[in-house]
Amino acid sequence: MNVDETLSAPLADLSPTTVVPPPWLKMLIQIARNCLVVTVILALLALVFGSILRPALEAVNVNEELTALLSWLLIAAIPPALYLTVGFTARTLRNAHPARALVVALLAATLVYGATLLWNAAFPAAQAAQGQPSLEMTFAQADSGVVIESIVAGSAAEQAGLRVGDVITAIRRESIDLAALQSRIEEEPLGTPFRLRVQRDGEEFQVTVNSIASATGAGNAALSRAAAGRAVALVVTAVGLLVPFNWLPYLLLGVTLLPLLLGYTWLIVATFSQETHGLLPVDSTGSLGGLTLSNWDFLTEVSRRGSVWTYTLNSFAIAVIMTAALLVLCSMAAYALSRMEFRGRRLFLSFTLILHGFPAVTLLIPIYLVLLNLGALPIIGEYIGFNTLGGIALVEIAFGMPFGVWLMKGFFDNISWDMERSALIDGANRWRTFWEIILPQIRPGLFALGIFSFVGGWNTYLIPATFSTGTRIANLPVYIQQLLGETNPINWNEIAAIGLFQMIPILILFVFAQEYLLNIYSGGSKGSS
Amino acid sequence: MKVDIEQLNKSFGTVVAVHDLNLDIRAGEFVAFLGPSGCGKTTTLLMIAGIYKPTGGVIRFGERVVNTVQPRDRNIGMVFQSYALYPHMSVFENIAYPLKLKGVSKDEQRVRVQRSADVMGIGDLLHRRPGQLSGGQQQRVALGRALVKEPDVLLFDEPLSNLDARLRLTMRGEIKALQKRLGITSIYVTHDQVEALTMADRIAVMNEGLLEAYDTPDDLYDHPKTLFIASFVGNPPMNILPIQAALEGDAVILQNDALRLPVRSERALKAAQQHGDLLMGVRPEDVTLSADGALCGEVFVVEPLGREDMIDVRIGQHRLAALVTTEKRIRAGNRVRLDINADKLQFFDPASKRSILWT
Ligand SMILES: Nc1ncnc2c1ncn2[C@@H]1O[C@H](COP(=O)(O)OP(=O)(O)O)[C@@H](O)[C@H]1O
Ligand SMILES: [Mg+2]
Repeated sequence: MNVDETLSAPLADLSPTTVVPPPWLKMLIQIARNCLVVTVILALLALVFGSILRPALEAVNVNEELTALLSWLLIAAIPPALYLTVGFTARTLRNAHPARALVVALLAATLVYGATLLWNAAFPAAQAAQGQPSLEMTFAQADSGVVIESIVAGSAAEQAGLRVGDVITAIRRESIDLAALQSRIEEEPLGTPFRLRVQRDGEEFQVTVNSIASATGAGNAALSRAAAGRAVALVVTAVGLLVPFNWLPYLLLGVTLLPLLLGYTWLIVATFSQETHGLLPVDSTGSLGGLTLSNWDFLTEVSRRGSVWTYTLNSFAIAVIMTAALLVLCSMAAYALSRMEFRGRRLFLSFTLILHGFPAVTLLIPIYLVLLNLGALPIIGEYIGFNTLGGIALVEIAFGMPFGVWLMKGFFDNISWDMERSALIDGANRWRTFWEIILPQIRPGLFALGIFSFVGGWNTYLIPATFSTGTRIANLPVYIQQLLGETNPINWNEIAAIGLFQMIPILILFVFAQEYLLNIYSGGSKGSS
Repeated sequence: MKVDIEQLNKSFGTVVAVHDLNLDIRAGEFVAFLGPSGCGKTTTLLMIAGIYKPTGGVIRFGERVVNTVQPRDRNIGMVFQSYALYPHMSVFENIAYPLKLKGVSKDEQRVRVQRSADVMGIGDLLHRRPGQLSGGQQQRVALGRALVKEPDVLLFDEPLSNLDARLRLTMRGEIKALQKRLGITSIYVTHDQVEALTMADRIAVMNEGLLEAYDTPDDLYDHPKTLFIASFVGNPPMNILPIQAALEGDAVILQNDALRLPVRSERALKAAQQHGDLLMGVRPEDVTLSADGALCGEVFVVEPLGREDMIDVRIGQHRLAALVTTEKRIRAGNRVRLDINADKLQFFDPASKRSILWT
């Protein structure tokens, strides 16, 4: 009768029968798994660089050391990476059970350390050097050469007949001093035969001794290295465990950005100096200094090629025409594609996508023919044919349309139909609805497209370089290319200055418009709420 | 303004959204379109608004055929579920937009917008953007915008669906009162039967593009003409049991494999004249606990509804829902005896799914 009893009864049977591992064991297992993953990833990467990429590069006769170095670095990075992993994994336990986290981390680090030791013992070849190569003698410098101070009893040197007090004068025929001898012994691989020229009591003879890993010295070195390794392991583990790592992404970003930043720094420094040495401005004698404004003289000079302002104006004209036309055309085309259902709509959309990926270079010749024909048209031909600003802008617009249409279509798709219906019911016609209700809501999209078009038009090179001749309608990128192609010595610092000059409007645009550009990636305007 | 709809059809490609719809809406009437989602309510409304062109049939406003009249020339106001406010305009500009398009002077715009906003209780929000308003306030703005041009017909498409339950209740009352006061012919689309039953003068029940019934709320509830209406209208829904009716003396015996129920009622007599299988409908509120009830079953779900519990009783393989007061403290597993109010029974023909009692 009592329902509660029947309901609660089965609960008693739910007591777990499976053994739940204690948290520290779970943590250890987790650490082991993470370490394995890290090892495999790094080892695979090393394999790719060392055993796949390098032979491949060598096969095409590229002689380079970078892949080998990377491969070696990756392998060398495995132990520290493992310690970091241990620390990181143990962090999850840190706040709740600090002591337990510490113990688990130390235990895991010890295990990892043991594993690396085992690894090195099992695969000695993997170690860069195994003990110091030695001839099992100690030496001192004397006037006549290097005097043997002591010899390890029973060593190869003793068996070869060397004695304390013998003077080594040369290896083969190279005469030698103490420093040279020692560095030779250290540098040559183990087992290298050294043919020593020895003087004893005025008598001269040759003895060959092979270098071996010095037992005592190597032992000590290995011990101290092991201690150092242990310390490093603990420190790295502690870093992983304790140091707040939320700046890690910034560090990575910073490192990857560095080349770019250095490039821009050089550009700016170069424009204000006579010459550069690395990132430092130098004068013609090569000493520090030599700052100058002369690289910017192009702003006021009128050279054989005309004033830079003509080119700037051309760049500007192309960018503005392109921006205006793309804004109008793309938004209208995208509106139709987003809102209207008609035959071939899907086909058209996929076709534009293909067009977007079409390399412009392949179309240069057909476009040339088109422009020639356009130029032959009465009246308007003068403005849109070959070698006219209008013609160049026209081609640019055609190439910009697919991307623009797709971009704008995304923005239109995000606007609810109800809004439009509401406007129609309120008394607006289609055109007014588009203009007063829809367009204001995709303003971020219009901004983004406008900026992209402007930057694209401002920087465009291929089309103006192909379809213009002479300097009349060339733009800045073409101008820079012309300077680079000159036969007289190229003033790189001036070219850097022109490059920077060309960048100024873009930089200004980006400073003011980043927010709108980011909008493209976050997918359109935020609606009413 | 009265609205007449004759033989209205709409298909999208091969999908028939509305099929042969006939409706007459009297001037000043409040009509609700009620039906499950996807049954063609919005499509019908948008045809009345002039957004969709009918595939066939006629829509009349008064005596004027409006089939090809543009939305802006129909003098209608519409409120959408999504509010459809213009986010880049202030509340004032939103409400003034229809007036601006009509060419109303700036001064008159101000007066009328203020009046409309005051009616909706948003008079002090005029300078805000829609994004700065709560859902309820946005819906009021949308309503104000629909009202400001003094439309002949008001259209609502599930206007309260995005509001929370409490607000829905207040807005329901307000819209109803406003409509009564202004006397504007209104069509209100909803899938919520409580909304339809409480607000509408008449309800058009739609199902899969067809009009199932067009009646007052009371008639729909008490005299359902089809099985669909019986089971769709009313919450919790009506119990439907397969049954056979036979006359025995002056009583009617309703029975099937699991139950045997002698009743005396006019409705049952009418059912007994129909031979063969029947479907009997009884609302949960007409099923009562009774110590000497003829039905006996085991309770297997108790669903507390606040003042009452809804219990689900298994009788053989049949299930019967009943509303009982919480004081009875019925629990799952209990065996209970039930009686039903024979005067409220409904009977349907299982083949045609139409009522035997009402035509
Ligand atoms: N623009 C459209 N294109 C194609 N099918 C549509 C369109 N609008 C509605 N439908 C279809 O018509 C049917 C009725 O839709 P609708 O009127 O929106 O239903 P609801 O009663 O939920 O408002 C649905 O099956 C829907 O899929
Ligand atoms: Mg709908």
